[in-house]
Amino acid sequence: MDFLPFLVTQCLNALSQAALLFFLGCGLTLIFGIMRIVNFAHGAFFMLGAYVGYSTVHWTGNFWTALIAAPILVGGFGAAFELGILRRLYGRDGHAFLMVTFGLTLVMGEVIRLIWGVEALQVKPPESLSDIVFILDEPFPVYRLFLAGAGIVVALVIWQFLERTRLGLLIRATSQNAEMVHALGTDVRLVRSAVFGIGCGLAGIGGVMAAPLVTASLGMAPNAVIDTFVIVIIGGMGSFLGSLIGAVLVAFVQVFGTYYFPDFALAFMYLIMVTVLVVRPGGLLGKEA
Amino acid sequence: MRLLLAAAALLALLPFGLPPYAMTLLTEALILGLFAMSLDLMVGYARLISFGHAAAYGFGAYASGNFLLHTSMPLPCAVLLAGLLGGIVAIGVGWVCTQATGISFSMLTLAYAQLLYAVAFKWTPVTGASDGLAGIPRNPGPFGVTWWSTHAGFYYLTLAFLLGAFVFCRQLVRSPFGAVLRGIRENEAKTIALGYNTRRYKIAIVAISFGVAGLAGALYAPFAGFANTELLFWLLSGQVLIMVIVGGAGTLVGPVLGAMFFLYVQQKLSSYTDSWALFFGVIFILFVLFMPEGIWGLIQSRFKQKTV
Repeated sequence: MDFLPFLVTQCLNALSQAALLFFLGCGLTLIFGIMRIVNFAHGAFFMLGAYVGYSTVHWTGNFWTALIAAPILVGGFGAAFELGILRRLYGRDGHAFLMVTFGLTLVMGEVIRLIWGVEALQVKPPESLSDIVFILDEPFPVYRLFLAGAGIVVALVIWQFLERTRLGLLIRATSQNAEMVHALGTDVRLVRSAVFGIGCGLAGIGGVMAAPLVTASLGMAPNAVIDTFVIVIIGGMGSFLGSLIGAVLVAFVQVFGTYYFPDFALAFMYLIMVTVLVVRPGGLLGKEA
Repeated sequence: MRLLLAAAALLALLPFGLPPYAMTLLTEALILGLFAMSLDLMVGYARLISFGHAAAYGFGAYASGNFLLHTSMPLPCAVLLAGLLGGIVAIGVGWVCTQATGISFSMLTLAYAQLLYAVAFKWTPVTGASDGLAGIPRNPGPFGVTWWSTHAGFYYLTLAFLLGAFVFCRQLVRSPFGAVLRGIRENEAKTIALGYNTRRYKIAIVAISFGVAGLAGALYAPFAGFANTELLFWLLSGQVLIMVIVGGAGTLVGPVLGAMFFLYVQQKLSSYTDSWALFFGVIFILFVLFMPEGIWGLIQSRFKQKTV
């Protein structure tokens, strides 16, 4: 294989991977920015998205319905969990959240196993995306191109949403000074529920999109949650742009690392994270140390 | 104090009244109890949440497994040496991880554990890769001392390690060193302002905590006869954190009770249902929500009400 086509296809690969990681990291960082809590169950929401996507495709035969249904269901569940349980914990220190969401991860893993069984479930990408295109004479799956595109579109949409809508304004304000926003007459608790739901919904979209690539399986949650944390720590907790940079960085390290040094790909990822933390303890774009 | 002595005496007498199966379970509970107690040093006293404590446990297990398989070192020496080695390595780990605070600290410990997990899969001569180390013996001591190779003997060895570590940890947290740790937990900025180099204290407690956890892992390898990558898996780190919280953080005794409770519930539930983790997750959430002081806190408040 020539070098240039190889480089181009691998870069596209990495971009599609970055899109998936971005769906995860961006949700986590939004939630952290607003609530100062770490949602350990983020990987579990991602996994739930993949399974809900499987069932929707199974019943309706339409991948696009799944892309709409999964985030709504997963996000709804996330918001309900925030309303029902997390809300009781706001007076407590941050560790209580980490632990409760860890408990939720166990529960969701088991419930998913009871409903869908232990076997990995294959989700078919839609007909229009299951082809292969030739890029510089190298075959490349259309679905991965679609993923990379979707990642870019969602990143732009979220950016515009945060910058230009009223809810986006409230979210940014709340992450800076929640008490002041509350004093100015906005129910901050509602903003928190909404953000938790949106973050989980994003993880859900990521899950549906990942399903055709990796199949829906019970091992998804732990892998996803660790990758997500690495991204968010590299980028800086609570920084939207940071999660984007972190996702791209980690994806490139994963793809090229796996190709050149298959034994050390994982070590590279952590090495980057440790280096970033030693140099800038708050992450690349993080504010606090 | 009297209560603790009574508990120790009860634990020492138990082998006379229990069937072998229950003995095995109890030994495992004590090993996990030691593991949970080591984590409590960090979580309960310095508010350093380690999310990668399995790293120390697995490290200890692989270290003692290798000592026992490849040398004729007596079992207790191998366990002590493995713990010591784990503690020394943890000085470096502590140095890196304490660069960060709060959640980033937790994630760095998790990353360290995942790194060891990945290494264990590749470093076949030492770890046996995905097969793990099997047939780890309980090496005899000099002059043909072999009492720890029986069920009851190994139980007593474990109990001795647990009690020894407990006394050590209790003295530690009651010493001026422990007071500084509590200072870090309550208000680190203030502790720094009082002239303490808190980073050094944090590195020290990470090293001690990982060393004690290494002891627990080092006991597990000859107990089970094998060591595999599951001992380094993040799920174990999460489980031991559950034991600490459910038992009661910052009490040293509580996490041991938490470990016993965890194993007991796991055993009971797994005989009724496959999905014991579901119930355990729910129990755990309920504990964090409604009983943050844990089982031991509950016992203590009961006890106080009666005496007053």
